[in-house]
Amino acid sequence: MTKPNFDEFLSQQIANTQEQVQQPEPQRALWQGIEKAINEQPKNDSEPQKYKSAGVWRQVSAIAAATCIGMCVMYFTLSTPEQNNMMQMSQYFEQQKQILLVQYGNQPALTNDWQVQLQELEEAEQAIKLALQNDPQNAALLQMLAQVYQQQLDLIERVHQPRWQEI
Amino acid sequence: MLVDAKHPFDELDDLVKRTQQGDQVAFAALYQQCHRRVYALCLRLLADQAHAEDACQEVFVQLWHKIAQFNGQSKFTTWLHSVTSNIAISYLRKHKNWLQKVVSFENSGMDEASIALCGDLNGLDKLVLRLPERARLVFVLHGVEGYRHEEIAVMLDMAVGSSKSQYHRAKKLLQEWYEND
Repeated sequence: MTKPNFDEFLSQQIANTQEQVQQPEPQRALWQGIEKAINEQPKNDSEPQKYKSAGVWRQVSAIAAATCIGMCVMYFTLSTPEQNNMMQMSQYFEQQKQILLVQYGNQPALTNDWQVQLQELEEAEQAIKLALQNDPQNAALLQMLAQVYQQQLDLIERVHQPRWQEI
Repeated sequence: MLVDAKHPFDELDDLVKRTQQGDQVAFAALYQQCHRRVYALCLRLLADQAHAEDACQEVFVQLWHKIAQFNGQSKFTTWLHSVTSNIAISYLRKHKNWLQKVVSFENSGMDEASIALCGDLNGLDKLVLRLPERARLVFVLHGVEGYRHEEIAVMLDMAVGSSKSQYHRAKKLLQEWYEND
């Protein structure tokens, strides 16, 4: 069977994108989180003031953490090699992570598998740290480490604090 | 045609009406009928499986809260696709990491290993996910979703000419990959 030309392929495939059955399935179950979110959030946006204040506080702390991370990573990656210090960076991020975990400790998460995802990121963190032991001044590895830390914080924040957007 | 033959308009319209009245069972059925299309669009726009899943959840949570705003003047699926596109683009902006914001580099497409992890994708989706970010966004919005370049320029905060050139860039890359595959 001959391969269709590109334009035929394109129009056929684009037509298929409109068919629900031909679309990929998400890998994780999404409905549970949606159901939880719609039952927990008031439908008319009339959240109690206390809830709003807590949300604002969490947002502020999350933004502050993200800003600190950005500045910290900039410092570590742009500074001279002698100033790079993986241990210092690790301690700082670990502290930020613990703050978030304590902060969200009593709050239910939107997904059940977030700890598995966190563990995968922690494994990536360990692998990068191992590589850094052989090449402690490697700026690319330091950046990767910082990104893995950032992903961990994003994950913790995301599963505990969905910020639904306006349509 | 945006609705499957298996799910005629009447059934979908009924589910929409019942959801507008606060019927969660109808909403669950609506989710079952539409979630794969929503997820697929999120995946095409975000090129990241985890983010696409999160964005898909955001779409349905927003849908529950805002479905009363749907006035039936357009097809529900057209409205849903427009909602999904807006949420996915907004999601993309929010989740650019600090490095992308500071250095402003363009995110390259997904690598083949990550694409393979996304499950059963059709031939075009496998190629689209490899596209660089701006070319991918424009291609999906114009080529797949049917937005005009003028609309895309507003949505993505770029010039109309850039939208057109990104579309041609995307098509050229897709054709090259398709023919060499």
